Amino acid sequence: MGEKGLKRELGLLQATMMGIGGALSAGVFVTLGYAATLAGTALIIAMILCGIINLFTMLSYAELGAAIPSAGGEYTFAKASFSGFLSFATGWFEWISNMFYAAFCAVGFGCLISYIFPIVNIPLVAVITVAIFTLINIKGTKETGLTQTVLMIILLALLGVFIFWGLLTSQGTGTLELKAPEGFLGVLRATAFIFVVYLGGEAIAVAQAEIRDPGKNVPRAILLTCLALIFIYTTTAYVIFKIVTPESLAGQASPLAYVAEQFLGPLGVGIITIAGIIAALTSINTSVMANSRVAYALARDGYFPKSLFTLHRRFHTPFIAILVGSVFTAALAATGIVSFVTYATDFGFIIGFIFVNLSLIKLRRDKPNLPRPFKVPLYPLTPILGVLASLLLIFFLEPSTFLIGIGLFIFGLIAYHIRMVGYYRICLAIGGTNLGISAFLALFAYLIASNSLPIMLPENMASVLFDVTVFVSVVCLIAGLLNITRKSEG
Amino acid sequence: MKLRKILATVVGTVQTSIGVLAVILVYILYFNSFGLREWLNVTEEFLPLQMLVLIVFGFFSILSGSILVREEDSGS
Repeated sequence: MGEKGLKRELGLLQATMMGIGGALSAGVFVTLGYAATLAGTALIIAMILCGIINLFTMLSYAELGAAIPSAGGEYTFAKASFSGFLSFATGWFEWISNMFYAAFCAVGFGCLISYIFPIVNIPLVAVITVAIFTLINIKGTKETGLTQTVLMIILLALLGVFIFWGLLTSQGTGTLELKAPEGFLGVLRATAFIFVVYLGGEAIAVAQAEIRDPGKNVPRAILLTCLALIFIYTTTAYVIFKIVTPESLAGQASPLAYVAEQFLGPLGVGIITIAGIIAALTSINTSVMANSRVAYALARDGYFPKSLFTLHRRFHTPFIAILVGSVFTAALAATGIVSFVTYATDFGFIIGFIFVNLSLIKLRRDKPNLPRPFKVPLYPLTPILGVLASLLLIFFLEPSTFLIGIGLFIFGLIAYHIRMVGYYRICLAIGGTNLGISAFLALFAYLIASNSLPIMLPENMASVLFDVTVFVSVVCLIAGLLNITRKSEG
Repeated sequence: MKLRKILATVVGTVQTSIGVLAVILVYILYFNSFGLREWLNVTEEFLPLQMLVLIVFGFFSILSGSILVREEDSGS
């Protein structure tokens, strides 16, 4: 048994597949085109650079995951080293990011299905997909791991066909001479843009409470994931530029399908489309599992309602945490808004990266005797480079990412204070706000009645608006009085 | 205390309903169903602000109303 009834059912293979599946999302099938226009054939360099940057932080995950093998990943590491609001904020961003990521992949999956069957409703497909993976995740960790492993083997086989056929074929008009049209800055911009394809591998750390022999398997699975991703992405980029020129990828909806079509014909398009569909499914599976384990860990420490810290009697899975996360994910997926979801995901994951590296440094200083089955090489250089690389990535993201990140941070701050300041004080605050709204609405009603509003309203509408405003004002007044006159529970 | 309990339940339910209606109104405004924007003289310029105010008010009302209903339920 793992943590409080969670079963340790995932072996090295399943954990590694969880990591690769978390990172290999449908995003890689669509983002390569724009990245190629930024970096040219030097995208291969950008891919390796991304892999190395990712490795800095993943080494920190490996050390902390082996030393503190409890559910929650980044949140648990931050809790052990910082505690308080910083650890909550890390968990909050991690929870939200994984839900947003699952929604993003579900919408991506719906888009790919609509490519084959144009009549399908994308949000509906996305919601149904989330529901199916919710049931699989509730059924058991073993089932989740098995589903992931089977899907990943099919996905890797399909990508293997693309890569090896591409390496062996004599067709193609591309060139393998490394050229960056925008110079080294273009390579850096491509690195920041393409980095999202490496995100998701840290799901191993989130589910580490369910991995057998975590001291050995967690670091091994994380490092294997990193190396596998570098190999897959670099060889894919190599095949792309062997077959086509970077310029020809600009504006392609699915650059990989376009490349596959050049040397495999319609079969290539089919292979890549199916691979994209499976990649989306594996990412949804990983993200549903990851967000539920973070919510479970936050509930364990009292930041989220205790009911989320409940395990299913038969399946030993945190079914309430899975259901709550899936309801939010399905609601996000139903909107079909992909860009907002992508930005929020990137921001959350990068914040998580920063805190994991900082946690490693702090724990090495505060708890030097903590048993560490795996140690980050070249400490403290590696985690410092991990922090700097993550900060660099934030500055290369779209400006709207900052705004969304700030918005999510404010929501997190409110959630934290609601949980921490006590129910009675929250009721007082809500009561006071109700009285304020009531006073404001009373003033508004007066302005309507005295015809003093700066905008002209039709007479019948002014009358309706006056009645509604007075009614709502009275309701807020009574609600406010009831809230502030309640007895303290203490 | 019984009067307070009934009042809190009624006011809580009404306030939650007002919040739900405000959120539905945002949805109708956004998609301009039933030509509501023209009827309410809502210009494109002020639409995002009005939607924001309604969303904040709507969710606050749902929260406040739910707390009132929950308090009286748990108190009984």
